[in-house]
Amino acid sequence: MSGVREITFVEALNEALLQEMERDPTVIVMGEDVGVYGGIFGVTKGLLDRFGPDRVVDTPISETAFIGAGVGAAAAGLRPVVELMFVDFFGVCMDQIYNQAAKMRYMFGGKIKIPLTVRTTIGGGVSAAAQHSQVLYSIFAHVPGLKVIVPSTPYDAKGLLISAIRDDNPKMFFEHKLLYGVKGPVPKEPYTIPFGTADVKVEGSDVTVVAVAYMVHEAVKAANELKMNGISVEVIDPRTIVPFDKDAVFKSVKKTGRLVVVDEDYERCGFASWVAALVADECFAYLDAPIKRVTTPTVPIPFSPVLEKEILPNAEKIIKAVKEVVK
Amino acid sequence: MVVEVRMPKLGLTMTKGTVKKWLKSEGDRVSKGEPLFVIETEKISSTVEAPASGYLLKILAQVGSTLPVGAPVAYIGEFGEALPEVTPPLPVSEAAKPVEREAEAVSKPVTPTRVRATPRAKALAERERIDLTAIRGSGPGGLIVEEDVIKYLHEVRARTKSGLRVKEVIPLTSLRRTIAERMTESLRSMAQVTIMREEVVDALIKVKNELQQQIEKDTNIRLTYTPILVKVVAEAIKKFPIVNSTLEDDSIKILDEINVGFAVAVDHGLVVPVVKDVDKKRLREIVVVCNDLARRAREGQLTMDDVSGGTFTITNLGMFGVDAFTPIINPPQTAILGVGRFIPKPVVIDDKVAVANTCVFSLTFDHRVMDGHTAAQFLNELINLIKDEHRLRAVLSE
Repeated sequence: MSGVREITFVEALNEALLQEMERDPTVIVMGEDVGVYGGIFGVTKGLLDRFGPDRVVDTPISETAFIGAGVGAAAAGLRPVVELMFVDFFGVCMDQIYNQAAKMRYMFGGKIKIPLTVRTTIGGGVSAAAQHSQVLYSIFAHVPGLKVIVPSTPYDAKGLLISAIRDDNPKMFFEHKLLYGVKGPVPKEPYTIPFGTADVKVEGSDVTVVAVAYMVHEAVKAANELKMNGISVEVIDPRTIVPFDKDAVFKSVKKTGRLVVVDEDYERCGFASWVAALVADECFAYLDAPIKRVTTPTVPIPFSPVLEKEILPNAEKIIKAVKEVVK
Repeated sequence: MVVEVRMPKLGLTMTKGTVKKWLKSEGDRVSKGEPLFVIETEKISSTVEAPASGYLLKILAQVGSTLPVGAPVAYIGEFGEALPEVTPPLPVSEAAKPVEREAEAVSKPVTPTRVRATPRAKALAERERIDLTAIRGSGPGGLIVEEDVIKYLHEVRARTKSGLRVKEVIPLTSLRRTIAERMTESLRSMAQVTIMREEVVDALIKVKNELQQQIEKDTNIRLTYTPILVKVVAEAIKKFPIVNSTLEDDSIKILDEINVGFAVAVDHGLVVPVVKDVDKKRLREIVVVCNDLARRAREGQLTMDDVSGGTFTITNLGMFGVDAFTPIINPPQTAILGVGRFIPKPVVIDDKVAVANTCVFSLTFDHRVMDGHTAAQFLNELINLIKDEHRLRAVLSE
C-alpha cells in the first residue's frame, strides 16, 4: 500500500473515524466528552470541528441513555459509533447492549439491522484502580449476538474499526489504554481487515502463544527473550474474539503441540479458558503438554502499582508458563 | 507436584528389576539425585537416584518385588498432596521362591501399568507401534512427551536386538515382505533337493542363431534364450507331468495346464511373470508374450493375473556370471529350473578334447512329490532336447 507511515494507535483510530465519516454521512459519533474535548484519550479529536454537532454528539453522563440512543439510531438507519469511556461502566447500560442491540435483528426476523459500534477502553497497568482497569471482553463474547474486536496494533486498529463501522451488526470494539501511544506503520488510505482472521505476529515451532490486545506485545517480548534460550514461540493474535479464527490456532497447535493462552481478563470462565477448551476438544491428539493459561486472578484490580503488577499477566509470566510446557 | 518414581531401564536388554533395598523410608526428605533405592537385574545391581526433591510419600514396591521397567515404585512430593490413584504394584515375588514367581510375575501382565504420556506422544507411539511402558518420561511429573518417544525410536533403531550397531534401516517394502514370506514358507513346507548337470549348449546356440533372423523379422523382437527355454521346458514336462504338479492335502494333483514363469529382477526385488499354456503356443507367440511381460515387469506394470497361475519356474542367473545355484521353489509349484552362464570350456567329444559352450542346469524339486531318479530323468530329458539340434529345431519351429 502506498502512503504508509508510522502513527500511534490513537491516531489510527482517529483516522478511521474521520475517513468513514467522510465516506458515509450516516456515520455519527456519540459519547461522553467525544466532541469539544475530543475524547479523554483523544480518539475523536477534531471530529466536531469537521463534522459539526449533528454528527459528533457530546452526551450526558448516562450510558443507558446514549447507548440506547445508539441502538435506536442504528435501527433507524444510521451507523453510530458510540464511546463507552471505560468498559468498567458497562454495568449501567448492559441491557441496551446485550438484550437490545445484540438480539433485535434476530427477534425481528432480520427486518432491521443494528450497525452499531460500541468503542470502549480496557485494561490495567495504569494504576486506575478496580473500577477503571478491567478488561471484561469475555463477558461480551459470552452472550450471543455481539462481535468482539480486540486490536493490538495501529494497523489492526484502523482496519478493524473501518470493518466494524461498515458491518451491519452490533460490535464491541475494545481499545487497551496502554496501546494508545504505541506507534506502528499504517497506510493513509482506508482499508478493512476481515473479522475472524488471526494474525501470526511471530512465527515459531515449539509453543503456540495466543494473546489479544496489549498482551500481544508482552507475548512478543516473551518470544524474543525465549528465542535467546533456544525456544521458538509462535505468537498468534486472533484480533477478534467473536468471530474466532479457530483454524489458525489449531493449525499452529498441530505444529507445536503446546499451547499457552495469555489473557488479561479474569481467569474464571474467561477467554483463555475457552480457547484452552476448544484446543483440548479438537486438537487433543496433537498436544504434547498440558495447556497453560496466563491470566489475571479473579480479584478486584488493586490501585497499588506494586500489587497491580503482581496480578497482571506480563512477559515474565508468559516466559515462565512457556518454560513449564517446554520443560 | 507428585513425582512418580519408576523402575529404571539400565540397559537395552533390561526388562525387569528387583528392589533390593530402600535407602529412604516413607516420610523422609529426599533431594533430587540422592541415592533412593537399590535394584538388581539379571546382570547387575545398581543404586537408583531420586528423580525429584520432596518427601518420599509412598513406597509402592517393597523389598524383594520384581517389577517391569517403567512400573511405579514410589511417589515423591510434598506432604498433603494427593497421590495419584495407586495401582497396586505388579505381583510381588517372595524371597522364598524367587525363580518361579518371578518368571510368572513378569510374563503375565496381571496389572496393566497405567502409562502417563501426552496425547501427542501416545499418537506417535501408536503410529510407530511402540510400547510406552518401556519409555521413561522426561516431562512434568514423569509424563512421557513426544521427544521421549523420538529419542527412544532413535535408540531402538540404532541397535539390533542383539546389540549390534546399525548403519542404515531399510523398511521392508511390501514386495520384499512378500518375497521374504514366500521364500521362508517354501523352505519350511517342502523337502527341497537341488540336482545339477553341466552340459554342452552349442546345439541350443546354433538353433537360436538360425531362428533369430526370422523371429526378429516376424515380431520385431530380439530373440533371447528365455522364450526358447520356456518352450523347451514345457516340452520336457509333457513327458514328465509329475514335475508339473502341486501337493495339496493328501494328494498330488498333476496339472492340466503348463504355465511357465520366469524370474525378472526389478528394483530391490524379483517378480515372476507367467506365460500361460506354453504347450499350446508357438515359439513366436511365446517370444511376444515374454517380451511384453518382461517390459511390464521392469516398468512395474504387471497385473495380478500376469504373476499368478504358474506351474513351473525358470530362473536365470547366467547374465550375472553364476555357474550353478540352488533355486527355491515358488509355492505351490513342485520344481524350478536354474540356468547358469554359457561359458566355453574344454570338453570331451568323440574321445577328443574340444572347446564347447557349456551351461549348468540346476533343478530343485520337492522330494515329497517325487524322488531323485524322477527328477534326474526329467533333467535328462530336458538336456537331451537341448543337445539335439534336430529335436530342438522341431520343437521350436512347430
